[in-house]
Amino acid sequence: MKKVEFEKIKRPETIKLPYMLDFYPLEDEKNTRTSQFFKNLKEGRFTTTKCKKCNKVLWPPRIVCPNCLSEGLEWIDLGVEGELYAFTEMKLGAPLGFCQDVPFCVGIVKIGGLLISARIDNATYDSLKIGDKVTLKIVELEDRRVFYRFKTK
Amino acid sequence: MRKVAIVGGGGTRCGKREANFRELVQEAGKAMFENVKNISPKDVEALIVGAAQPERFVFQAHVAPMVAEYLGITPRKVLARTELMCASGQAAIRYAWACVASGMADIAVAFGVEKMFMPDMAEAQTNMACVLDREWDGINALPAPPFFAMTAQRHMYEFGTTKEQMALVSVKNHHYSTMNPLAQFQKETSVEEVLKSPVIAPPFNLFDCSGITDGAAGVVLVPAEMAKKYTDTPMYIVGSGQASIGNVIANLADLTDWIPLKMAAEETFRTAKITLKDIDIAELHDCFTISEIMEYEAFGWCKKGKGGKFIENGEPYIGGTIAVNPRGGLLGCGHPLGATAILQALDILQQFRGEVPKGRHVKDAEVAITHNLSGPANVHSILAYKRS
Repeated sequence: MKKVEFEKIKRPETIKLPYMLDFYPLEDEKNTRTSQFFKNLKEGRFTTTKCKKCNKVLWPPRIVCPNCLSEGLEWIDLGVEGELYAFTEMKLGAPLGFCQDVPFCVGIVKIGGLLISARIDNATYDSLKIGDKVTLKIVELEDRRVFYRFKTK
Repeated sequence: MRKVAIVGGGGTRCGKREANFRELVQEAGKAMFENVKNISPKDVEALIVGAAQPERFVFQAHVAPMVAEYLGITPRKVLARTELMCASGQAAIRYAWACVASGMADIAVAFGVEKMFMPDMAEAQTNMACVLDREWDGINALPAPPFFAMTAQRHMYEFGTTKEQMALVSVKNHHYSTMNPLAQFQKETSVEEVLKSPVIAPPFNLFDCSGITDGAAGVVLVPAEMAKKYTDTPMYIVGSGQASIGNVIANLADLTDWIPLKMAAEETFRTAKITLKDIDIAELHDCFTISEIMEYEAFGWCKKGKGGKFIENGEPYIGGTIAVNPRGGLLGCGHPLGATAILQALDILQQFRGEVPKGRHVKDAEVAITHNLSGPANVHSILAYKRS
Protein backbone atom coordinates (compact mmCIF):
# COMPACT_ATOMS: atom_id res chain seq x y z
CA MET A 1 0.00 0.00 0.00
CA LYS A 2 1.14 3.50 -0.80
CA LYS A 3 2.04 5.62 2.24
CA VAL A 4 -0.45 8.44 2.80
CA GLU A 5 0.52 11.67 4.49
CA PHE A 6 -1.06 12.60 7.87
CA GLU A 7 -0.84 16.19 9.08
CA LYS A 8 -2.28 17.69 12.26
CA ILE A 9 -4.04 20.98 11.58
CA LYS A 10 -5.12 23.66 14.04
CA ARG A 11 -8.18 25.72 14.67
CA PRO A 12 -8.02 28.94 16.74
CA GLU A 13 -8.09 28.17 20.48
CA THR A 14 -10.35 31.12 21.22
CA ILE A 15 -12.55 33.21 18.97
CA LYS A 16 -14.14 36.58 19.65
CA LEU A 17 -17.77 36.21 20.77
CA PRO A 18 -19.51 35.86 17.40
CA TYR A 19 -22.50 38.06 16.62
CA MET A 20 -24.71 34.96 16.23
CA LEU A 21 -24.16 34.20 19.92
CA ASP A 22 -24.50 37.79 21.18
CA PHE A 23 -27.93 38.37 22.69
CA TYR A 24 -27.48 42.13 22.96
CA PRO A 25 -28.63 44.18 19.97
CA LEU A 26 -26.44 46.55 17.97
CA GLU A 27 -27.82 49.75 19.40
CA ASP A 28 -26.01 52.72 17.86
CA GLU A 29 -27.41 54.86 15.06
CA LYS A 30 -25.23 53.12 12.47
CA ASN A 31 -27.16 49.91 13.13
CA THR A 32 -30.67 50.90 14.15
CA ARG A 33 -33.10 53.74 13.66
CA THR A 34 -34.38 53.36 17.24
CA SER A 35 -31.03 54.04 18.94
CA GLN A 36 -32.81 56.78 20.88
CA PHE A 37 -34.20 54.06 23.17
CA PHE A 38 -30.68 53.17 24.29
CA LYS A 39 -29.61 56.84 24.55
CA ASN A 40 -32.58 57.42 26.84
CA LEU A 41 -31.70 54.29 28.81
CA LYS A 42 -28.18 55.68 29.38
CA GLU A 43 -29.87 58.68 31.02
CA GLY A 44 -31.94 56.42 33.27
CA ARG A 45 -35.13 56.77 31.21
CA PHE A 46 -37.19 53.73 30.17
CA THR A 47 -39.00 54.81 27.02
CA THR A 48 -40.81 53.61 23.95
CA THR A 49 -42.50 55.04 20.86
CA LYS A 50 -46.11 56.22 20.71
CA CYS A 51 -48.05 56.94 17.52
CA LYS A 52 -49.05 60.61 17.33
CA LYS A 53 -51.82 59.79 14.86
CA CYS A 54 -53.66 56.86 16.51
CA ASN A 55 -52.19 57.26 20.02
CA LYS A 56 -51.13 53.63 20.23
CA VAL A 57 -48.20 52.92 22.55
CA LEU A 58 -45.84 50.69 20.60
CA TRP A 59 -43.54 48.17 22.26
CA PRO A 60 -40.83 47.53 21.34
CA PRO A 61 -39.88 50.90 19.80
CA ARG A 62 -40.77 51.15 16.11
CA ILE A 63 -40.20 53.34 13.09
CA VAL A 64 -43.69 52.81 11.65
CA CYS A 65 -46.96 52.33 13.53
CA PRO A 66 -48.23 48.83 12.67
CA ASN A 67 -51.71 50.00 13.67
CA CYS A 68 -52.12 52.92 11.19
CA LEU A 69 -48.82 52.88 9.23
CA SER A 70 -47.99 56.44 10.35
CA GLU A 71 -44.32 57.41 10.71
CA GLY A 72 -45.23 60.19 13.13
CA LEU A 73 -44.03 58.60 16.35
CA GLU A 74 -42.89 60.24 19.58
CA TRP A 75 -40.84 58.98 22.53
CA ILE A 76 -42.69 58.57 25.81
CA ASP A 77 -41.50 57.57 29.28
CA LEU A 78 -42.85 54.30 30.68
CA GLY A 79 -41.64 55.14 34.18
CA VAL A 80 -39.05 53.34 36.27
CA GLU A 81 -41.27 51.46 38.71
CA GLY A 82 -43.26 48.37 37.86
CA GLU A 83 -45.10 45.45 39.37
CA LEU A 84 -44.28 41.75 39.00
CA TYR A 85 -46.90 40.01 36.85
CA ALA A 86 -45.10 36.64 36.69
CA PHE A 87 -41.63 35.31 37.41
CA THR A 88 -39.47 32.22 37.54
CA GLU A 89 -35.89 31.33 38.33
CA MET A 90 -33.55 29.86 35.75
CA LYS A 91 -32.01 26.84 37.48
CA LEU A 92 -31.02 24.58 34.60
CA GLY A 93 -30.76 24.97 30.85
CA ALA A 94 -29.54 28.56 30.55
CA PRO A 95 -28.21 29.62 27.14
CA LEU A 96 -24.49 30.17 26.51
CA GLY A 97 -23.46 33.56 27.79
CA PHE A 98 -25.89 33.30 30.70
CA CYS A 99 -24.68 30.04 32.29
CA GLN A 100 -22.32 31.93 34.62
CA ASP A 101 -25.31 33.75 36.18
CA VAL A 102 -27.36 30.64 37.09
CA PRO A 103 -29.50 30.68 39.15
CA PHE A 104 -31.15 33.99 38.28
CA CYS A 105 -34.70 35.30 38.12
CA VAL A 106 -36.64 36.42 35.06
CA GLY A 107 -40.06 37.95 35.11
CA ILE A 108 -42.80 39.79 33.32
CA VAL A 109 -43.16 43.32 34.67
CA LYS A 110 -46.29 45.44 34.42
CA ILE A 111 -45.04 48.93 33.61
CA GLY A 112 -46.58 51.86 31.71
CA GLY A 113 -49.59 49.69 30.90
CA LEU A 114 -47.39 47.03 29.22
CA LEU A 115 -46.22 43.55 30.22
CA ILE A 116 -42.48 43.52 29.55
CA SER A 117 -40.09 40.61 30.14
CA ALA A 118 -36.86 41.30 32.02
CA ARG A 119 -34.25 39.87 34.33
CA ILE A 120 -35.14 40.45 38.00
CA ASP A 121 -32.05 41.11 40.13
CA ASN A 122 -31.59 40.93 43.94
CA ALA A 123 -34.07 38.08 44.08
CA THR A 124 -34.61 34.36 44.41
CA TYR A 125 -37.78 32.52 43.41
CA ASP A 126 -38.76 32.07 47.04
CA SER A 127 -38.25 35.75 47.87
CA LEU A 128 -40.67 36.99 45.21
CA LYS A 129 -44.44 37.10 44.88
CA ILE A 130 -46.80 38.26 42.16
CA GLY A 131 -47.55 41.95 42.64
CA ASP A 132 -44.13 42.86 44.14
CA LYS A 133 -42.82 46.32 43.29
CA VAL A 134 -39.67 46.35 41.16
CA THR A 135 -37.53 49.24 39.92
CA LEU A 136 -35.57 49.77 36.73
CA LYS A 137 -31.87 48.94 36.71
CA ILE A 138 -29.45 49.49 33.84
CA VAL A 139 -26.61 47.13 32.99
CA GLU A 140 -23.66 48.17 30.83
CA LEU A 141 -21.51 45.81 28.74
CA GLU A 142 -17.72 46.19 28.33
CA ASP A 143 -18.30 47.87 24.97
CA ARG A 144 -20.63 50.51 26.53
CA ARG A 145 -23.85 49.01 25.15
CA VAL A 146 -26.64 49.12 27.74
CA PHE A 147 -29.75 47.10 28.55
CA TYR A 148 -32.44 47.17 31.22
CA ARG A 149 -33.28 44.87 34.07
CA PHE A 150 -35.49 45.31 37.13
CA LYS A 151 -34.58 44.78 40.74
CA THR A 152 -36.37 44.35 44.02
CA LYS A 153 -35.77 46.92 46.76
CA MET B 1 -59.64 22.39 -4.55
CA ARG B 2 -59.07 18.63 -4.67
CA LYS B 3 -59.57 16.42 -1.63
CA VAL B 4 -56.20 15.12 -0.43
CA ALA B 5 -55.21 11.82 1.17
CA ILE B 6 -52.18 10.70 3.15
CA VAL B 7 -51.34 7.23 1.82
CA GLY B 8 -48.39 6.25 3.97
CA GLY B 9 -45.52 7.37 6.09
CA GLY B 10 -42.63 6.43 8.29
CA GLY B 11 -40.45 7.79 11.01
CA THR B 12 -37.35 7.15 13.08
CA ARG B 13 -37.11 6.18 16.70
CA CYS B 14 -36.79 9.51 18.50
CA GLY B 15 -34.36 10.39 21.25
CA LYS B 16 -30.65 10.90 21.70
CA ARG B 17 -29.69 9.13 18.51
CA GLU B 18 -26.25 7.92 17.47
CA ALA B 19 -26.97 9.23 14.01
CA ASN B 20 -26.50 12.53 12.22
CA PHE B 21 -29.04 14.75 10.45
CA ARG B 22 -28.59 13.03 7.09
CA GLU B 23 -28.87 9.52 8.55
CA LEU B 24 -32.08 10.43 10.38
CA VAL B 25 -33.43 11.62 7.01
CA GLN B 26 -32.52 8.35 5.31
CA GLU B 27 -33.96 6.18 8.10
CA ALA B 28 -37.30 7.98 8.00
CA GLY B 29 -37.37 8.18 4.21
CA LYS B 30 -36.81 4.45 3.77
CA ALA B 31 -39.55 3.68 6.31
CA MET B 32 -41.89 6.09 4.52
CA PHE B 33 -41.36 4.70 1.00
CA GLU B 34 -41.67 1.12 2.24
CA ASN B 35 -45.07 2.02 3.66
CA VAL B 36 -46.63 2.94 0.28
CA LYS B 37 -46.96 0.80 -2.80
CA ASN B 38 -46.39 1.98 -6.35
CA ILE B 39 -44.46 5.11 -5.38
CA SER B 40 -40.70 5.33 -5.75
CA PRO B 41 -38.61 8.40 -4.86
CA LYS B 42 -38.47 9.37 -8.54
CA ASP B 43 -42.28 9.72 -8.62
CA VAL B 44 -42.33 12.48 -6.00
CA GLU B 45 -43.11 15.84 -7.63
CA ALA B 46 -43.20 18.06 -4.57
CA LEU B 47 -41.12 17.90 -1.39
CA ILE B 48 -41.67 20.21 1.56
CA VAL B 49 -39.22 19.82 4.45
CA GLY B 50 -40.07 21.05 7.93
CA ALA B 51 -36.91 21.89 9.86
CA ALA B 52 -36.77 24.54 12.56
CA GLN B 53 -33.12 25.38 13.11
CA PRO B 54 -30.70 23.27 11.07
CA GLU B 55 -28.48 26.35 10.61
CA ARG B 56 -27.81 26.37 14.33
CA PHE B 57 -28.13 22.72 15.36
CA VAL B 58 -26.11 21.20 12.52
CA PHE B 59 -24.70 24.33 10.78
CA GLN B 60 -26.51 23.55 7.56
CA ALA B 61 -28.78 25.74 5.48
CA HIS B 62 -30.58 24.86 2.21
CA VAL B 63 -31.67 21.53 3.66
CA ALA B 64 -34.62 20.83 1.32
CA PRO B 65 -32.42 19.82 -1.65
CA MET B 66 -30.16 17.91 0.73
CA VAL B 67 -33.13 15.90 1.99
CA ALA B 68 -34.23 15.37 -1.63
CA GLU B 69 -30.78 14.09 -2.55
CA TYR B 70 -30.56 11.72 0.41
CA LEU B 71 -34.05 10.36 -0.34
CA GLY B 72 -33.41 9.97 -4.06
CA ILE B 73 -36.12 12.52 -4.86
CA THR B 74 -35.73 14.85 -7.84
CA PRO B 75 -38.64 17.28 -7.38
CA ARG B 76 -40.02 18.73 -10.60
CA LYS B 77 -42.87 20.82 -9.25
CA VAL B 78 -42.21 22.22 -5.76
CA LEU B 79 -39.29 22.14 -3.34
CA ALA B 80 -39.00 24.19 -0.16
CA ARG B 81 -38.27 24.13 3.53
CA THR B 82 -40.76 25.39 6.11
CA GLU B 83 -39.78 27.00 9.40
CA LEU B 84 -42.40 27.71 12.02
CA MET B 85 -40.34 26.58 14.99
CA CYS B 86 -42.26 23.89 16.90
CA ALA B 87 -44.90 23.79 14.14
CA SER B 88 -42.41 23.55 11.24
CA GLY B 89 -43.60 20.03 10.42
CA GLN B 90 -47.23 21.05 10.38
CA ALA B 91 -46.33 23.90 8.04
CA ALA B 92 -44.75 21.27 5.75
CA ILE B 93 -47.95 19.21 5.74
CA ARG B 94 -50.07 22.30 5.09
CA TYR B 95 -48.00 23.33 2.04
CA ALA B 96 -47.73 19.80 0.66
CA TRP B 97 -51.51 19.59 1.09
CA ALA B 98 -51.95 22.91 -0.73
CA CYS B 99 -49.71 21.68 -3.57
CA VAL B 100 -51.83 18.57 -4.11
CA ALA B 101 -55.19 20.25 -3.46
CA SER B 102 -54.44 23.02 -5.97
CA GLY B 103 -53.26 20.61 -8.65
CA MET B 104 -49.67 21.89 -8.60
CA ALA B 105 -48.51 18.35 -7.88
CA ASP B 106 -50.03 14.85 -7.75
CA ILE B 107 -47.51 13.21 -5.46
CA ALA B 108 -46.07 15.24 -2.60
CA VAL B 109 -43.98 14.38 0.43
CA ALA B 110 -44.22 16.33 3.68
CA PHE B 111 -41.05 15.60 5.60
CA GLY B 112 -39.75 16.75 8.96
CA VAL B 113 -36.36 16.46 10.63
CA GLU B 114 -34.45 17.88 13.56
CA LYS B 115 -31.09 16.88 14.98
CA MET B 116 -31.03 18.62 18.37
CA PHE B 117 -28.42 16.82 20.44
CA MET B 118 -25.16 18.76 20.25
CA PRO B 119 -21.88 18.03 22.03
CA ASP B 120 -22.53 21.04 24.32
CA MET B 121 -26.18 21.23 25.39
CA ALA B 122 -25.86 24.90 26.37
CA GLU B 123 -25.58 25.56 22.65
CA ALA B 124 -28.93 23.87 22.06
CA GLN B 125 -30.45 26.07 24.77
CA THR B 126 -28.90 29.10 23.08
CA ASN B 127 -30.64 28.19 19.84
CA MET B 128 -33.96 27.96 21.63
CA ALA B 129 -33.45 31.45 23.09
CA CYS B 130 -33.75 33.08 19.67
CA VAL B 131 -37.26 31.71 19.19
CA LEU B 132 -38.86 34.44 21.22
CA ASP B 133 -38.05 37.96 20.00
CA ARG B 134 -34.31 37.76 20.68
CA GLU B 135 -33.61 41.46 21.17
CA TRP B 136 -36.47 42.06 23.65
CA ASP B 137 -37.39 38.69 25.23
CA GLY B 138 -34.70 36.14 24.36
CA ILE B 139 -32.08 38.59 25.64
CA ASN B 140 -33.45 38.02 29.15
CA ALA B 141 -32.32 34.39 28.89
CA LEU B 142 -35.78 33.23 27.88
CA PRO B 143 -35.80 29.97 25.99
CA ALA B 144 -39.11 28.08 26.19
CA PRO B 145 -39.03 26.58 29.72
CA PRO B 146 -38.95 29.81 31.77
CA PHE B 147 -41.57 31.43 29.52
CA PHE B 148 -44.00 28.53 29.89
CA ALA B 149 -43.09 28.29 33.59
CA MET B 150 -44.44 31.83 34.00
CA THR B 151 -47.56 30.84 32.05
CA ALA B 152 -47.98 27.94 34.49
CA GLN B 153 -47.39 30.24 37.46
CA ARG B 154 -50.16 32.59 36.25
CA HIS B 155 -52.51 29.64 35.64
CA MET B 156 -51.86 28.40 39.18
CA TYR B 157 -52.32 31.93 40.55
CA GLU B 158 -55.55 32.68 38.64
CA PHE B 159 -57.26 29.28 38.71
CA GLY B 160 -55.66 27.30 41.51
CA THR B 161 -54.10 24.72 39.19
CA THR B 162 -51.60 22.57 41.09
CA LYS B 163 -48.19 21.08 40.35
CA GLU B 164 -49.71 17.64 40.99
CA GLN B 165 -52.34 18.22 38.29
CA MET B 166 -49.63 19.29 35.84
CA ALA B 167 -47.60 16.20 36.76
CA LEU B 168 -50.60 14.02 35.90
CA VAL B 169 -50.30 15.15 32.25
CA SER B 170 -46.72 13.86 32.20
CA VAL B 171 -47.82 10.61 33.85
CA LYS B 172 -50.54 10.05 31.23
CA ASN B 173 -48.34 10.79 28.23
CA HIS B 174 -45.43 8.72 29.53
CA HIS B 175 -47.90 5.87 30.03
CA TYR B 176 -48.93 5.96 26.37
CA SER B 177 -45.38 6.41 25.10
CA THR B 178 -44.34 3.14 26.74
CA MET B 179 -46.40 1.58 23.95
CA ASN B 180 -44.86 3.60 21.13
CA PRO B 181 -41.74 2.08 19.55
CA LEU B 182 -40.77 5.50 18.10
CA ALA B 183 -40.96 7.29 21.46
CA GLN B 184 -37.93 8.83 23.19
CA PHE B 185 -39.16 7.81 26.65
CA GLN B 186 -40.56 4.32 27.10
CA LYS B 187 -40.82 4.18 30.87
CA GLU B 188 -43.81 4.91 33.09
CA THR B 189 -43.51 7.83 35.48
CA SER B 190 -45.45 8.87 38.59
CA VAL B 191 -46.54 12.16 40.14
CA GLU B 192 -43.87 11.71 42.84
CA GLU B 193 -41.21 11.09 40.20
CA VAL B 194 -42.22 14.20 38.21
CA LEU B 195 -42.15 16.36 41.35
CA LYS B 196 -38.76 14.95 42.36
CA SER B 197 -37.15 15.40 38.94
CA PRO B 198 -34.61 18.27 38.75
CA VAL B 199 -36.03 21.79 38.94
CA ILE B 200 -35.62 23.55 35.59
CA ALA B 201 -37.50 26.80 36.25
CA PRO B 202 -40.16 26.71 38.98
CA PRO B 203 -42.91 25.58 38.89
CA PHE B 204 -41.41 23.27 36.23
CA ASN B 205 -39.39 20.18 36.96
CA LEU B 206 -37.63 18.27 34.21
CA PHE B 207 -40.60 15.94 33.57
CA ASP B 208 -42.90 18.92 33.03
CA CYS B 209 -40.84 19.67 29.91
CA SER B 210 -40.65 17.84 26.59
CA GLY B 211 -37.21 16.62 25.63
CA ILE B 212 -34.40 17.69 23.40
CA THR B 213 -34.81 15.12 20.64
CA ASP B 214 -33.35 13.81 17.39
CA GLY B 215 -35.87 12.47 14.92
CA ALA B 216 -37.30 12.52 11.41
CA ALA B 217 -40.49 11.44 9.68
CA GLY B 218 -42.31 11.76 6.37
CA VAL B 219 -45.76 11.24 4.91
CA VAL B 220 -46.91 10.92 1.28
CA LEU B 221 -49.84 12.98 -0.01
CA VAL B 222 -51.86 12.35 -3.19
CA PRO B 223 -55.27 13.40 -4.54
CA ALA B 224 -58.03 11.41 -2.78
CA GLU B 225 -59.27 9.90 -6.03
CA MET B 226 -55.83 8.33 -6.62
CA ALA B 227 -55.32 7.15 -3.03
CA LYS B 228 -56.39 3.52 -3.43
CA LYS B 229 -53.65 3.00 -5.99
CA TYR B 230 -51.11 3.46 -3.20
CA THR B 231 -52.79 1.96 -0.14
CA ASP B 232 -55.95 0.19 0.96
CA THR B 233 -56.14 2.43 4.02
CA PRO B 234 -55.57 6.11 3.30
CA MET B 235 -56.64 8.94 5.57
CA TYR B 236 -57.99 12.26 4.42
CA ILE B 237 -57.09 15.83 5.36
CA VAL B 238 -60.47 17.46 5.85
CA GLY B 239 -59.80 20.85 7.38
CA SER B 240 -57.41 23.16 9.14
CA GLY B 241 -57.08 26.34 11.11
CA GLN B 242 -54.20 28.57 12.02
CA ALA B 243 -54.03 31.87 13.90
CA SER B 244 -51.36 34.15 15.32
CA ILE B 245 -51.60 37.19 17.58
CA GLY B 246 -48.56 39.24 18.55
CA ASN B 247 -45.02 37.98 18.98
CA VAL B 248 -43.11 39.86 21.67
CA ILE B 249 -44.43 38.91 25.13
CA ALA B 250 -45.89 42.42 25.63
CA ASN B 251 -48.11 41.98 22.59
CA LEU B 252 -49.57 38.53 23.27
CA ALA B 253 -53.36 38.37 23.46
CA ASP B 254 -53.36 36.86 26.95
CA LEU B 255 -50.90 34.69 28.89
CA THR B 256 -53.45 32.21 30.28
CA ASP B 257 -56.14 32.33 27.60
CA TRP B 258 -54.92 31.06 24.23
CA ILE B 259 -57.18 33.11 22.01
CA PRO B 260 -55.35 32.21 18.76
CA LEU B 261 -55.97 28.54 19.61
CA LYS B 262 -59.68 29.20 19.96
CA MET B 263 -59.64 30.98 16.59
CA ALA B 264 -57.72 28.15 14.92
CA ALA B 265 -60.06 25.54 16.44
CA GLU B 266 -63.14 27.41 15.20
CA GLU B 267 -61.70 27.61 11.71
CA THR B 268 -60.81 23.90 11.79
CA PHE B 269 -64.34 22.95 12.80
CA ARG B 270 -65.79 25.21 10.09
CA THR B 271 -63.59 23.92 7.26
CA ALA B 272 -63.78 20.25 8.33
CA LYS B 273 -67.53 20.51 9.01
CA ILE B 274 -67.07 18.83 12.38
CA THR B 275 -67.87 19.73 15.98
CA LEU B 276 -65.84 19.16 19.12
CA LYS B 277 -67.96 16.08 19.87
CA ASP B 278 -66.99 14.43 16.58
CA ILE B 279 -63.31 14.26 17.52
CA ASP B 280 -62.14 10.81 18.60
CA ILE B 281 -58.40 11.49 18.94
CA ALA B 282 -56.64 14.76 19.73
CA GLU B 283 -52.89 14.96 19.35
CA LEU B 284 -52.21 18.19 21.25
CA HIS B 285 -48.94 20.07 21.60
CA ASP B 286 -47.83 19.21 25.16
CA CYS B 287 -44.43 20.92 24.96
CA PHE B 288 -44.97 21.48 28.69
CA THR B 289 -47.52 19.96 31.06
CA ILE B 290 -49.34 23.28 31.42
CA SER B 291 -49.76 23.50 27.64
CA GLU B 292 -51.97 20.42 27.48
CA ILE B 293 -54.07 21.67 30.41
CA MET B 294 -54.64 25.01 28.67
CA GLU B 295 -55.48 23.19 25.43
CA TYR B 296 -58.32 21.18 27.08
CA GLU B 297 -59.72 24.57 28.05
CA ALA B 298 -59.19 26.46 24.79
CA PHE B 299 -60.68 23.69 22.64
CA GLY B 300 -63.65 23.63 24.99
CA TRP B 301 -63.50 20.11 26.44
CA CYS B 302 -63.70 21.83 29.81
CA LYS B 303 -64.25 25.34 31.15
CA LYS B 304 -61.46 27.90 31.42
CA GLY B 305 -59.42 27.25 34.55
CA LYS B 306 -60.75 23.70 34.94
CA GLY B 307 -58.05 21.92 32.92
CA GLY B 308 -56.34 20.69 36.09
CA LYS B 309 -59.54 19.04 37.31
CA PHE B 310 -60.08 17.57 33.82
CA ILE B 311 -56.85 15.55 33.98
CA GLU B 312 -57.39 14.77 37.67
CA ASN B 313 -60.67 13.12 36.69
CA GLY B 314 -58.99 11.07 33.95
CA GLU B 315 -61.04 12.75 31.21
CA PRO B 316 -58.24 13.00 28.60
CA TYR B 317 -57.47 9.26 28.76
CA ILE B 318 -58.81 6.78 26.16
CA GLY B 319 -62.34 6.03 27.27
CA GLY B 320 -62.74 9.49 28.87
CA THR B 321 -64.24 12.64 27.35
CA ILE B 322 -61.51 12.75 24.68
CA ALA B 323 -58.40 10.67 24.02
CA VAL B 324 -55.59 13.23 24.22
CA ASN B 325 -52.15 12.21 23.01
CA PRO B 326 -52.54 8.43 22.86
CA ARG B 327 -49.28 8.59 20.86
CA GLY B 328 -47.49 9.62 24.04
CA GLY B 329 -47.35 13.33 23.28
CA LEU B 330 -44.23 15.44 23.13
CA LEU B 331 -43.64 14.70 26.81
CA GLY B 332 -43.38 10.97 26.13
CA CYS B 333 -42.22 10.84 22.52
CA GLY B 334 -39.81 13.78 22.59
CA HIS B 335 -40.02 16.87 20.43
CA PRO B 336 -37.80 16.84 17.34
CA LEU B 337 -39.16 20.24 16.26
CA GLY B 338 -39.51 19.83 12.49
CA ALA B 339 -40.56 16.18 12.74
CA THR B 340 -43.15 16.43 15.54
CA ALA B 341 -46.24 17.25 13.46
CA ILE B 342 -45.32 14.60 10.88
CA LEU B 343 -45.00 12.01 13.66
CA GLN B 344 -48.43 13.09 14.95
CA ALA B 345 -49.97 12.62 11.48
CA LEU B 346 -48.22 9.28 11.08
CA ASP B 347 -49.61 8.07 14.40
CA ILE B 348 -53.15 9.10 13.46
CA LEU B 349 -52.74 7.10 10.23
CA GLN B 350 -51.62 4.09 12.27
CA GLN B 351 -54.50 4.59 14.72
CA PHE B 352 -56.99 4.57 11.83
CA ARG B 353 -55.31 1.49 10.39
CA GLY B 354 -55.35 -0.29 13.76
CA GLU B 355 -51.58 -0.66 13.71
CA VAL B 356 -50.85 0.70 17.19
CA PRO B 357 -50.61 -1.49 20.32
CA LYS B 358 -53.93 -2.30 21.96
CA GLY B 359 -53.24 -0.32 25.14
CA ARG B 360 -53.19 2.97 23.26
CA HIS B 361 -55.52 2.16 20.38
CA VAL B 362 -58.65 4.32 20.08
CA LYS B 363 -61.14 1.84 18.65
CA ASP B 364 -63.35 2.84 15.72
CA ALA B 365 -61.87 6.34 15.58
CA GLU B 366 -63.15 8.28 12.56
CA VAL B 367 -62.06 11.87 13.22
CA ALA B 368 -58.78 13.15 14.62
CA ILE B 369 -57.04 16.47 15.01
CA THR B 370 -53.40 17.34 15.45
CA HIS B 371 -52.37 20.62 17.04
CA ASN B 372 -49.08 22.46 17.33
CA LEU B 373 -48.29 25.70 19.03
CA SER B 374 -45.11 27.61 18.34
CA GLY B 375 -43.09 30.43 19.88
CA PRO B 376 -44.62 31.95 23.01
CA ALA B 377 -47.93 30.21 22.10
CA ASN B 378 -48.78 33.17 19.87
CA VAL B 379 -49.20 30.79 16.92
CA HIS B 380 -51.55 27.82 16.90
CA SER B 381 -51.90 25.41 13.96
CA ILE B 382 -54.44 22.60 13.64
CA LEU B 383 -55.16 19.92 11.04
CA ALA B 384 -58.22 17.65 10.94
CA TYR B 385 -58.12 14.10 9.57
CA LYS B 386 -60.79 11.54 8.76
CA ARG B 387 -60.57 7.81 8.19
CA SER B 388 -63.10 7.93 5.36
